[in-house]
Amino acid sequence: MKPNHRATPYLFAGPALLVFGFAVLGPMIATGAFSFTEWSGFGPMKFVGFDNYTRAFRDTVFVDSLAHVAVYIAATIVLEVLVGLALAGVLAARRGESTWFRVALFAPVMLPMVVVAVLWSFVYNGDFGLVNAVLGAVGLESLQHVWLGESGTALASVCVVSGWVYAGFYMAIFYAALRQVPGEVIEAARLDGAGELRIFWQVKVPVIRRAVEACLLLCVTGGFQSFDLFYVLTDGGPYNATEIPTTYLTRVAFTDGEVGYGSAMAVLMTALVVLAGLGFMRLRARGERTAA
Amino acid sequence: MNRLKRTIGLLAGAASTMMILAACGNGGGQGADDDVLRIAMGSPGEAQIKVWNDIAKQYETAHPGIKVQLNFQDDDLYQTVGLPSLLNGRKSPDIYFEWAGDRLATRVKDGFAADVGPYVSGGPLKGLIDDSAYNQMKVGGKTVMVPFASDVTNVLWYNTKVMSGAGVAPPKTWDELLAACDTLRSKGITPIAAGNKDLWPVGNWAAHLVSRVAGESSYSQVLSGKAGFDSPGWSDALGHVAQLRDHKCLNDTASALNDTEGDQMFLQGKAAMHPIGSWFVSTAIEEAPELEIDYVNLPTVPGAGDQNSVIGVATGYVINAKSKKTKESADFLALVNSGANVTAFTRAGTVPQAKPAPGGPAVDPRTTRLNDLLADAETVVLPPDTGYELKRAEAFYRAVSLVLGGKKKPQEALADAQRKAGS
Repeated sequence: MKPNHRATPYLFAGPALLVFGFAVLGPMIATGAFSFTEWSGFGPMKFVGFDNYTRAFRDTVFVDSLAHVAVYIAATIVLEVLVGLALAGVLAARRGESTWFRVALFAPVMLPMVVVAVLWSFVYNGDFGLVNAVLGAVGLESLQHVWLGESGTALASVCVVSGWVYAGFYMAIFYAALRQVPGEVIEAARLDGAGELRIFWQVKVPVIRRAVEACLLLCVTGGFQSFDLFYVLTDGGPYNATEIPTTYLTRVAFTDGEVGYGSAMAVLMTALVVLAGLGFMRLRARGERTAA
Repeated sequence: MNRLKRTIGLLAGAASTMMILAACGNGGGQGADDDVLRIAMGSPGEAQIKVWNDIAKQYETAHPGIKVQLNFQDDDLYQTVGLPSLLNGRKSPDIYFEWAGDRLATRVKDGFAADVGPYVSGGPLKGLIDDSAYNQMKVGGKTVMVPFASDVTNVLWYNTKVMSGAGVAPPKTWDELLAACDTLRSKGITPIAAGNKDLWPVGNWAAHLVSRVAGESSYSQVLSGKAGFDSPGWSDALGHVAQLRDHKCLNDTASALNDTEGDQMFLQGKAAMHPIGSWFVSTAIEEAPELEIDYVNLPTVPGAGDQNSVIGVATGYVINAKSKKTKESADFLALVNSGANVTAFTRAGTVPQAKPAPGGPAVDPRTTRLNDLLADAETVVLPPDTGYELKRAEAFYRAVSLVLGGKKKPQEALADAQRKAGS
C-alpha cells in the first residue's frame, strides 16, 4: 500500500528519529569528535589526531581494565546465566510449589543497584561484616579477608554480588521459557528412560536455546556497561584491581578533566561491544547452519 | 563511482557534523541579566544550609526585587566537574565557593574571578575581615576572593584514653610514631584508623610528610609540574610511608573504607589515632560527644622541610567576573560576614574568618587551637587536591596507596605517578 503523500512515512518516523538523533546519535558523533581532541570539557579544544587512541593502547590501567571486564563477564556468565538456568530448571520441575522461591530469588533484581552495593559493602566489611563473622564462627579465621580491600579478592567479590542480583533475573526468563517446552517431548524422553538431569540438559535446554542465546548476549553486553556496582563497592580499587573501562574513563573524563582521552576510551569500548555482538551473531548463524 | 561519491559525501557530512558539535561544546559562561543572585557551593551540611537560607531571606528583605538562589552540590561533584559546568553555563553563578591555590589561579586565568579589592578597601566588605586573611586570596597582585574559613587539612587525632591506657604518649617524632604503632599492635590495638578508599585521606597526610622530607619548595615544584616525581627526597619520603606499612600502623581495612567509615572506626574507639583535618572536630562533637580526643601536628621527621609546617587551605567566595551583579554580590558577601551571621555559622559548626558579634557562642578549644596553629604557622603547605592540578594530585595519591599497600616500591610508584601525570 502506498501512502497518499510522500512525506507521510517521514512524518510518522520523524519524532522518533528526532529523539534518537538528539539522545543517541548526536552524543555518539560528539564523543567521536571529542576523542580526537585534548579538551578539559571547558575552554579551547586542541586537535591531537589519533594521540588519545595510541595513548589508550599504552595505558596499562586501561588495558588491565579490559582484562578485568572480560573476567567479570566470564564470571557472570557462570554466576548469573548458568546459575539462573539451574535455578529455573529446579523450579520448573516443582511447578506450582515454587512461587515463594521465585519471588525470593527475583527480589534482588528489584532493588536499586546502589542499595545492593551499600548492603554488600556491609556484608564484606573486614571488621564487622557477615562473611568474616560466619567464617570466624565456624573456625575458618584463616579464610577471613578484607574482601573489597585486597586486590586478590575484590574482583571476585564484586562478581558474586552481581551473580546474587541477576541470577534471579535470568531465572525468571528461563523459567518462562521452560514452561513452554511441550510436555509430550519430555514424556517421550522419560519413556525412553532418560533421567531428570539428562532431560534437562539434552531436551529442555536445546528447546529453549533461543532464550539462552538472548540471555548470554544480554549478559555480555550488560557486562561491558557495568558501572554502578563497581563504582560504589570499590571505585576501581584497590590498586586498580577492579578497574573496568567505565569506572576508569569516568575518572579520567570527569575527575582528571581529560574529556578527549575519556572519549577515545569510550569509542574503543563501543567498538569492542559491537565486535562482541557481531561475533556472537556470527557464531549463532554458524550454529544454525550446522544444525540444519 | 556514484557509490564512491556518495560514501565520500556521507563521510564529509559526518566529519562536518562532528566538528560543529565539537565546536558547540566550547561555550563560555555568562552572567544572567535578571534579578536573581546565584550562589554556588559544595554542600556544607544541614546546619550551615539553614544559615545560608536565613541569610538569603535577610538579603531579599533588604533588597526587594532581587531573589537569591542557592545551589548546593555534592562536594566531590562540585570540586571536579560541578563548578566548571556551572561557570560555563548560560546562567553562571554570581558568587561561588573556591579553595585558595592553583584552583583560584585557574579561575582568574579563565576570567571567572572579579577583583574584589575596591569592595574590600572602601566598599561594603571594608573592616569585616582581618587584612592578613586576604594574603592567600590574591592572584597577580589583585584580591580575587573573600575569605570565609580555613582548614588544617591534616593532623593526627588521638584517643586520649586508649593512648594513656596503652602507656603511649602522643608521638612528636616519626620514630616515636613507629614505636607507638609497635606498642599498640602488641597490645591488640589498631594504631591508626584510616579510610583510604578514595586515596586522599592518607594521600594528604603523606603530602605533608613529603613536604617535610623533600622540602616545601620541591613539594610545590613537583605538584605544580615544574619538576618530576623523581626529584630528590621524594623516594625517601615515600620510604617513610612504607615504614607505616612495615610497622602495621594502619588498619588492615584502610583501602576498603572511605573517609567517613575511617572516622567512624576511630569514633567507635576501635583505633588509637586517626589522621584527618580540622573539620573532624564538628563530626566528633556531633557523633561521639563523650569521646576524649585531641591532636598533634605531623610528627617531626629528618628532612629538608620546616618541621613545624602545617598543611592547610583557606577557602572563600569569589565574585564571578562575568556577573552583571558584582555590587549586589559584594553586598551579599558583606551580609554573610556580618557579626550576627558569623555567630550563626559558628553555632552551625564552622568558624569564619570574620569577626563574630559580641557575646557569641564559645568555640570548641580544639578548633581555636587549630585555627591558631594555622594562623601562626611560618610555613603552610597546600594539599595536593586543592592547591595543585587535580591530575598530578591523583597521580601522587595513587603512588602513596601503592606503597602503603606494598604493591610497589617508592621509586616504582613515583615512576608510575610521573607516567600518569606526564601523559
